[in-house]
Amino acid sequence: MATEVTPEADETALVDTPDEHGHHAQPHTPSTAGWAGRGVVVLLISWLVLLFPLSRDVSDLRLYGLAVIYAIIGLSLNVLLGYTGQISLGHQAFVGIGAFASAYMVSVQGQPFFVAVLVSMVIGALQALVLGAISLRVRGLYFALITLSYGIMAEGTLFNIEKYTGGSAGQAAPLPEPFETPHKFYYLCLLFLAAVVWVDWRLMKTKGGRALLALRENPRVAATLGIDVKLYTLVAFVVSGVFAGLGGALFAHNSEIVVSNTYEFRLALVFVIMTTVGGLRSRTGVIVGSAFFALLGYLIEHEYTFPLVGWHLNIESLLAKLPGPDLTAELAPLVLGPLLLLITLIQYPGGIGQQLRPLTGWLRGNRFDIHDRGDKEVVVADVRA
Amino acid sequence: MSVLETRECTIRFGGVQAATDVSIKVGEWEIVGIIGPNGAGKTTTFNMITGFYKPNSGTVRFNGVDITELSVHERTALGLGRTFQNVGLVKGSTVRENLKTAQHLHAEYGVVAGMLGFPRTFRTEKWLTDRAEAVLEIMGLGDIADTRVAGLPYGVLKRVEVATVLATDPDVLLLDEPSSGMGPEEAHRLGDTLLELRKEFGIAIAMIEHHVPLVVRVCDYVYCLNFGEMLAEGKPEEVRNHPEVVRAYLGEEADNPIVQAAEAAIEELVETD
Repeated sequence: MATEVTPEADETALVDTPDEHGHHAQPHTPSTAGWAGRGVVVLLISWLVLLFPLSRDVSDLRLYGLAVIYAIIGLSLNVLLGYTGQISLGHQAFVGIGAFASAYMVSVQGQPFFVAVLVSMVIGALQALVLGAISLRVRGLYFALITLSYGIMAEGTLFNIEKYTGGSAGQAAPLPEPFETPHKFYYLCLLFLAAVVWVDWRLMKTKGGRALLALRENPRVAATLGIDVKLYTLVAFVVSGVFAGLGGALFAHNSEIVVSNTYEFRLALVFVIMTTVGGLRSRTGVIVGSAFFALLGYLIEHEYTFPLVGWHLNIESLLAKLPGPDLTAELAPLVLGPLLLLITLIQYPGGIGQQLRPLTGWLRGNRFDIHDRGDKEVVVADVRA
Repeated sequence: MSVLETRECTIRFGGVQAATDVSIKVGEWEIVGIIGPNGAGKTTTFNMITGFYKPNSGTVRFNGVDITELSVHERTALGLGRTFQNVGLVKGSTVRENLKTAQHLHAEYGVVAGMLGFPRTFRTEKWLTDRAEAVLEIMGLGDIADTRVAGLPYGVLKRVEVATVLATDPDVLLLDEPSSGMGPEEAHRLGDTLLELRKEFGIAIAMIEHHVPLVVRVCDYVYCLNFGEMLAEGKPEEVRNHPEVVRAYLGEEADNPIVQAAEAAIEELVETD
């Protein structure tokens, strides 16, 4: 396979015209100005995430906190859906049980917040372990049905055990010291998200992640490469369960109360949609997609004012003018979600992650290439899992 | 002593007897060919050796140890490596990533240590990357290390697959139709590689192969299966000219003019090779 470097080949390399796929022969090194431009964009994003919330009021901060928590939950589901190709339609139960466990530990047992979070994560891991054991036997549609039933069962029974959950009145889940304001709690959620991203990143860069990708593609091949298929399937479920438990605990304290009807099936549906629309196996995509779905209701209800032209825009009232039944902001994720899902499945199997790729590639120091689709291929068949 | 051995392995699927008393030996430094028409039970035999199927009777031995009850990944850990008929690679990953996947058992850290990002996992990863590159260099695939597997031509994929299995550090390589999808020249080069591997690393090889010139050139011993039973075994030349073998492949008497014409054609192929 030795390629001979002829003078002509050298010359074309200098000009570096993209080949038929739009790939360049040489890696791109941005100029100082190029790096400065990238720096500005990074600063803008950091400002949006870190500084902008400081100037907002308390109710907005709860919403931003929720967006961060959704991102954690999206990453949890991404481990199953993206890395192992297994679906969970019962993730509201994982999150809900995490939420109740943490609220119970803090409000009834009087344990410190961080102990409660740890308990939620352990409970999440245990649930996931059981589900993972089932997934070794049942796959595809039937496994989806089992997770669906588990979620709805948990909703109807576990969430209503008065002793642990406070019944229909719910359980208080105060903001923990020293993060006792929604502002501070938002930053705590960000810290947890950073930890989840780190773990997810290292998982995929080390042997565990490679094992998962191999066994998703072909368990037989994985086994012949020395990978213990059962063990690693369970590892994936446990990781997902831990993330979901953490998401649940934060969910509870972010709203300062846990009520069972928060964690209903609709939520599980939104989780699956936001992860897929975000882009399987793309951390950036999943985070952006999840945050978008968390904020969707707000974006629709919000009254946008454009003082210069004196315009007021409220999407909800616009929607109300449409003929037919009313579309409330609450239902928006379930109307817009499937539409976005369709676009994802047909046009962009890599989801938001794929659509953001020109930008994320550019930030990493590549040329800005609008046709960049990344090196991770997400096939439509993946998303149809 | 033989490195790998199946002793009278028999397996049934429902009413179908897929393999009957199959006994195969692969000695040290040996390259063994397994031939036979489609559906003869060749891949089934491989599946019994690697552990996808458990034989109804008979045993599989590796370095004198009975491994019949071990699971697939445990056999890999002992030193069994295998390729697949339809290429067993992670298509979405790069060639280098595939080799690193294959070095799973060489990554001496726990999954959790990897996830939490302990410093030593970074060092081990670096070492694994270097090792993967060394293997790719040996297989002459160094310049496609960063290419995603999905876009590569079939013949190259087959070589990448061999490189991948080499990265698991096997004592015995089981190759399922390694030359399929290759032209005569590529197949010849593959033969060179296999002989080289044996010389350099002392790896014993068992391969299912239809490409007669390749089998005749590299194999020390050949087994011919038909309908799950051992039809003939011996030196490549003996097996190739065995009347039963010729009949199994062509389904006619060997003195039939069509058969003779076919034989002449095969003869010619061998000579041109």
